[in-house]
Amino acid sequence: MADLKLSNVDKSYGGFAALTDISLDVADGEFIVLVGPSGCGKSTLLRSIAGLERISSGDIVLGGRHLAHVPTRDRNVAMVFQSYALFPHLTVAENIGFGLKIRKTDKATADSKISHAADLLGLGALTGRYPRELSGGQRQRVAMGRAIVRDPQVFLFDEPLSNLDAKLRVQMRTEIKALRQRLGITSVYVTHDQDEAMTLADRIVVLNGGRIEQIGTPMELYDQPVNMFVAGFMGSPPMNFIPARAVDGVLTTASGPVSGAKFASDTQTDVMLGIRPEALSFTEGGPLSGEVEVVEPQGAQTLVIVRLADGTLVYASAEKHARQLPGERVQMGFDWAEAHLFDSDSGQRIEPLKTEGLQ
Amino acid sequence: MAERYLTIALRFFIIGLGVLWSAFPIYMVVSSSFKTHIDIFAVPSKFLFTPTLDNYRQLLSDWPEFLDGLLNSLIITTGATLLTAIVSLLAGYAYSRYQSRMLTASAFFMILVRMLPPLVVTIPLFPIINWLELNDTHAILIVLYAAFFVSLSTWILKTFIDQIPRELEEAAEVEGASLMQRLIKIILPLSVHGMVAACVFVVVFSWNEYMFALIFTSSAAKTAPLVLAEISGSLEGVQWGVLFAAATLQLAPILIFVLLVQKYIVTGLTAGAVKG
Repeated sequence: MADLKLSNVDKSYGGFAALTDISLDVADGEFIVLVGPSGCGKSTLLRSIAGLERISSGDIVLGGRHLAHVPTRDRNVAMVFQSYALFPHLTVAENIGFGLKIRKTDKATADSKISHAADLLGLGALTGRYPRELSGGQRQRVAMGRAIVRDPQVFLFDEPLSNLDAKLRVQMRTEIKALRQRLGITSVYVTHDQDEAMTLADRIVVLNGGRIEQIGTPMELYDQPVNMFVAGFMGSPPMNFIPARAVDGVLTTASGPVSGAKFASDTQTDVMLGIRPEALSFTEGGPLSGEVEVVEPQGAQTLVIVRLADGTLVYASAEKHARQLPGERVQMGFDWAEAHLFDSDSGQRIEPLKTEGLQ
Repeated sequence: MAERYLTIALRFFIIGLGVLWSAFPIYMVVSSSFKTHIDIFAVPSKFLFTPTLDNYRQLLSDWPEFLDGLLNSLIITTGATLLTAIVSLLAGYAYSRYQSRMLTASAFFMILVRMLPPLVVTIPLFPIINWLELNDTHAILIVLYAAFFVSLSTWILKTFIDQIPRELEEAAEVEGASLMQRLIKIILPLSVHGMVAACVFVVVFSWNEYMFALIFTSSAAKTAPLVLAEISGSLEGVQWGVLFAAATLQLAPILIFVLLVQKYIVTGLTAGAVKG
């Protein structure tokens, strides 16, 4: 195991900048999740760490070793691919032991490592099978086995669960978490699924357009998003953005003024009020009012979708048996401690000067 | 229902004609090799006869060089096949995995060379080969035969390697495999069908080739087809039985080989037709 340090990593293809100024410190044993929409550069970053992509500038240091001129095969990293990339002509045991054989590990040691890894992943009875004879989840485990058997310095996961069905994905997610708690391996994990990111990560890195938007623990990202992109990306259903105007430090939405918070701006500024669905409550006389559009029961809770006066759709979590009905006029309130404010133009977070009380 | 039976019957009839067309000459050669001189020329042809090995005995006593010819053919065929296999695996890999203007241009020339009638290169080759002192050696035929088939085999192998996901190689690379190890442990086993399909062409061609063997060998590297020709052009008049025996011996190994690998040939030639 080792720590991993990326400094000012750039990667461009021709004129297209795939990664721009990526700096990231991964502590020994830490589990980092790279998350972002398709094409944000998260897989490119992972592949750059593995050496499968050559970076244009910057530095990658793994356990004190500069990797810039180290070929992939000497980097001592392990990678789990989205497609699993199992060798179809080799058995489970041969797949897991491929790296050991290449590195000429003696047979007794290799065999014991392979059987240990197979047992750890519940593949003990399948070692003689070929990949085509395995289910998706079992193939996924073989790919994991191939990674852990070599004791690499860092694990790289490239959307390892996205080819599994929803139920299996949740199960494998739990297994990966249990495995990492047991093995304590430095890991970099790429996903586009923010649920996966929240459950697995020690820290999450949100990427967009090849740049890092924010790095933080799952709760930091959830509670203190630095901009609208991060705020909208983390959480499901996503955060509501309500257009508002700050006039002389007081906020006004289409429903009227929202008291309880003061802002630094003494001029007029267009802002976005960001409130998560679960932070909204149906309160008589609340500052946001609108008409219920759709009610979506989800089992544990019910989502009530409200159209505000200016046409903005707002998602609000109500209790299991919501009383609201489509077409009904409702008023909603929120706690300033759970609300966020962003600059409409830049999307950056704005901190209020002071907040007081419930609405 | 009746219509369906008719279709099936028609299908069998056409297949039957095809089989007859290709198998009949083989049957004539093989059966005649076991017949006496009188039986060979019996009209109508005899389907029931007393088989004899006399023709084979006579072949071995009169034409001992036929066995040397078979051995030379075996050496040259094996050599040409191995050379083609190695070269086309490497070239097919390069064409499949890398892109550059040079590669595209070289691919064009590779196909262009294939368009030349082989006879055109023979005459200029003759002085060169003399100068290299490669006349009447196994090596020269191995190189020539391989050269004819490298383009086709490379193309077949490129198609196969195209279908091997790049991620498999990347996974092997992460696991510590060098380019050579990836070729041997991943690419080779996964393209073996294409390899066999490509090799069949070389094997059949090298085993039967006559013209180049005639021009570039005289005694030490003389191949079986040349000896066959000598038997049929013998000064004492053609001994048909002996000729058929020799033809049978020449035919048998290649026939068995093709039958053994036929399932590879079918998958090999249709590779890339449908996306897997």
